[in-house]
Parts: sequence; structure tokens; C-alpha cells
Amino acid sequence: MSPRVADIATYIAGIVLAALFLMPLAWLLSLALRTPAEVYLGAARFIPEAPTLDNFRLILTDGAFGTYLYNAIKLCALGALGAVILATPAAYAASRFQFRGKGPVMVAILLVQMISPLVVIIPLYRYMDRLGLLESHSAVIGVYMAIGVPLSVWLIKTGFDTIPLSLEEAAAIDGCGRFEILARITLPLAAPALASAFILNMIMGWSQFLVPFILLTRDGQLPISVAIYNFAGSTSASTTQVLAAACLVAVVPALVAFLALQRLIVRAIMAGAVKG
Amino acid sequence: MKEDRRVWIWFAPVLLILGLVYLVPVLDVLRLSFSDATLLRPVSGYGVDGYVAAFAADSLGVILRNTAVFTALSVVGLQIVGLAIALLLVRGDCRGLYGMTMLRTIVLAAWVIPGIANGLIWQMLLSEAPFGAVNSVLRMIGIPPVAWLSDPVNAMMSAVIANVWQGSAFSMIVFYAARRAVDPVLYEAAEVDGASASAQFVFITLPQMRGAILVNSVLVTIQTLNTFDTILALTGGGPGRATEVLSLYIFNTVFYAYDLGGGSALAVVLLGISMMLTLVYLAILVRRRT
Repeated sequence: MSPRVADIATYIAGIVLAALFLMPLAWLLSLALRTPAEVYLGAARFIPEAPTLDNFRLILTDGAFGTYLYNAIKLCALGALGAVILATPAAYAASRFQFRGKGPVMVAILLVQMISPLVVIIPLYRYMDRLGLLESHSAVIGVYMAIGVPLSVWLIKTGFDTIPLSLEEAAAIDGCGRFEILARITLPLAAPALASAFILNMIMGWSQFLVPFILLTRDGQLPISVAIYNFAGSTSASTTQVLAAACLVAVVPALVAFLALQRLIVRAIMAGAVKG
Repeated sequence: MKEDRRVWIWFAPVLLILGLVYLVPVLDVLRLSFSDATLLRPVSGYGVDGYVAAFAADSLGVILRNTAVFTALSVVGLQIVGLAIALLLVRGDCRGLYGMTMLRTIVLAAWVIPGIANGLIWQMLLSEAPFGAVNSVLRMIGIPPVAWLSDPVNAMMSAVIANVWQGSAFSMIVFYAARRAVDPVLYEAAEVDGASASAQFVFITLPQMRGAILVNSVLVTIQTLNTFDTILALTGGGPGRATEVLSLYIFNTVFYAYDLGGGSALAVVLLGISMMLTLVYLAILVRRRT
């Protein structure tokens, strides 16, 4: 096969793959823009003849969905932030100090990820119930922090590793203490790593279903991922278009965040992938 | 080495939260698995009844078979699709073709979608109502509708497809990084010797990426074993028990049947499988280092 022909084959394969991966989302959008009458026309009306935003209006003016979105953002932002804050000191120590037991502890932190949340959620439910925390967001935020910590430690450590020690040594010669160096020099320079850890944690938290589903009892506290599951259970086929709009509302914030920050995210996953 | 002991202060926050959210509960699950507790009633005695009941249940065989089928098909699918896209991207990069970043972005976008939304999206696509996406396309080209979700075998395939669609991005990134790390000199030498593209794939790409493929198989297996939200939203485990995998079964046992002891015993089984796979993963990592 000549390189030209192979290039064309590559393009065709690429287009087919792109279409396969885009199709489900395109169908979702198509359904969400239809009137009930057009939903019944199936694929023949892939591009709606009378597109409508009514389904989105219905979802977004329903006060409950606003609350679910707000809850989701609050839970994953605080969980992601907490994970980064907890992980940073450990990442710094792992990057800068040599000590016995460093290798095993770093591997142990990584391996925690292999434990399914499903295993730990059973006892956690009992603890939170006894502590009376099932009525508040704090239990879920705490668990999100723990889920985000392993990846954060490794990502942030990799970020610290790239900052030359000589910068810190120069500051030490100028009379800065360790914490001053950390606050003024090292942390600002590690900002990209901190940011990518935060964003990846946010995206993972956004997808979480099990933890909020089990650890939250009041409807007004639920994040969007749980809300669409409950909503799907409450609808009949005649409201497919509304469910599609609700799904889009749940999916779009994560997609937008991903698209906006994709360079950062891809670099972070690649760094992790090479290591793994 | 004055820092030797003080250094652990830096690790205190991480170790504390991981201890509270992972270590203590894992030990507690072990304890609960030997107890007769329910979600509503505390422990009143210990024994192996939970395990005996869990293993004697007629459903367990079906559940384990479903889990094996779902996991095996998913892992094969995830890796083949991930590898194909990764190799396509690398080829496009080398030849300076357009749109490769866009393809990568599109595949990764699926990965960002929450599992529950993924299940719901595929439910709409595979809906067996006359207006379901796939079935209405089939009807337009004269093929009778397929029972994607109500036929037991098809439902399993549908769950695998939904899982592969969403999860391939992870394998793609791992393989993309690994393929780019292969020394280009190997391909240049093969080119000079007149090796065909398929020969290069079999004799250079696959052997060079063996480590990445091994590691990725273990990681993807663990991820697949632990997922249940896509299946929960897509089929709810049905029809009957046709797509009920171990993780979904545990979820149902504890939170719908309120059987805490039995559910914990099953969770210990899941944990045991994950741990064994983790040991395999560690062994591979250690081997690669040395």
C-alpha cells in the first residue's frame, strides 16, 4: 500500500470512529430538541423539523434541577479541593525528601485505588448513620476527598519533580525558611500540576453515583448524577425527550470543563499512564 | 537524617483520610461478613452463615458467570478499540494528517460522561420502541427490529457495548503513550528490510508494547469489575438476572434486600478478586523495573 493510499485509509477509519463515538451524543441532542410528536418518528427525524427548546425550559425552570446542579458542583469542587490540599504535603515530601519506606508507602497509596467504593460504602453508611451525617453534605465530601487523594498525590509529586531544586536552594541562601519557600516559590511553580489534579478530581466526582446515592437521604441534597437516575425511573416512554434533555444537562458541564482544559488533562493522564 | 521521623508529618493528612475511609471500613467489612447484621439491625452474633448463604444461593452461579462474561468481553473490547485508535492516532501524527487531535478529543469526551448518563443514553439508542434509534435505522434499511435489551444474550452485548464506548479512552491514552515510546529506529530498520505493515505490527509493535498491554489488562479488569452504574441505568440487571454482575448484586443485596452480612461476604469476594489482580499488577511492575 502506498503511503497516500494508507493516508486515505487512515482518514476513513478516523472518520468512522469519530462518527461512532459522536453518534450517541448526537442522538441525545436530537431527542432533546424534539417535540413529543417527532420523537415517535425515530431516526427518520434525526434533524427535527420543528426543533424546540421546551424540554430544556422544562428542566431548567424546574427549581429542583437547579438545586441538583448546584449540589453536584459544590460536592465535587469541595471534594476535589480537599483532596488537593491533603495530598500536597505528602507529594512535596515524596518529591523532596529521601527516607526509608518512601517507595512502599507511595505504592500503597496508589493501590488504594483498586478498592471498589462498593466495598467500603457498607461500613461507611453505618458510621455516617451513627454520626448523624446522612443529612449533610460533609460525609460525601469527605469520601470524595479520600477517593481523589491517591491520584492527586502522584500527579502533584510529578509536578514538584519538574521544579529544579536550585531555585529552592537559592531562596534558602537568601534566608527564606522552608515554609516560605514552599508558599512563595514551589507551590506557584507547581500550579499546573495542582490544577490538573483538581480538574481530574472534579470530573471523577461529577460521575460519582454510588457514594451520594447511599450517603445522602434528602432529595434536596442530591447531585445531578443521582437525580437523573431517579428521574429516569419516574418517567414513561412518552417523555423520552425530557429525559434526553435532563441527561444533556448532566453531561454538558463535564464536557465543557473537559474541552476547555483538555490540554492540561491529557498531559496529566499521559504522565500517569507512562508511570502505570 | 534528622528528617527521617519528622517526614511522616507530611504524610499524616493523606494517611489519616485513607485510613478512615478505606482501611477501617475494609477491616469492618471483614468483620461484618462474619456477622448476622442487617442494614436495620445491629450485629447479634458471628459465624460463617453469611458466606454459606451467599455461596449456596442459586443466583450466585449465574452472577459469577455474568461477571466473567461481562468482564472478559469488556476487557477484550476496550483494549482492541483503544489500541486501534491509539495506533491510528500515532500514524496520523507521524504523517502530519489533519484532525487527529479532534479524534482524540471525541473519544475522550465519552470518557467524561457519568456512568449513569451513559446507561441512560444507550437505553435511548437501543430502545425497542418503534422509534428507538438503532431499531428505526434498521427498519429504514429493511431489517427487522432487534431485541437489544429484552433478550438475555443481546442485553449482555448491549451492556458491553455501552461500557466499551465509554471506557476505551483510558486504554487509548495508555497505548498512545506506550506506542510513542517505542524506538522509531526499529521501524526504520524493518522498513529497510522490506517488512510489511502487518509484519511490523506483529514483530515490533506488539512485543514492544507487551508491558503496556499487560498492565492495562489488569487495570481495565479491575475497573470493569467495579463498575455497575452503567448496567444499573441501562438494564437494571435484567432481563431477569441476565446482566446482573457481582458489583450490582452486592449493591442489591445490601441496599435493597438489607442483608448486610451476606452483602459484606460478597464484598469480601469482590475485594479478594481485586487484590489478586493487584498482586499480578505489582508483579508486572516489579518485573519491568528489574
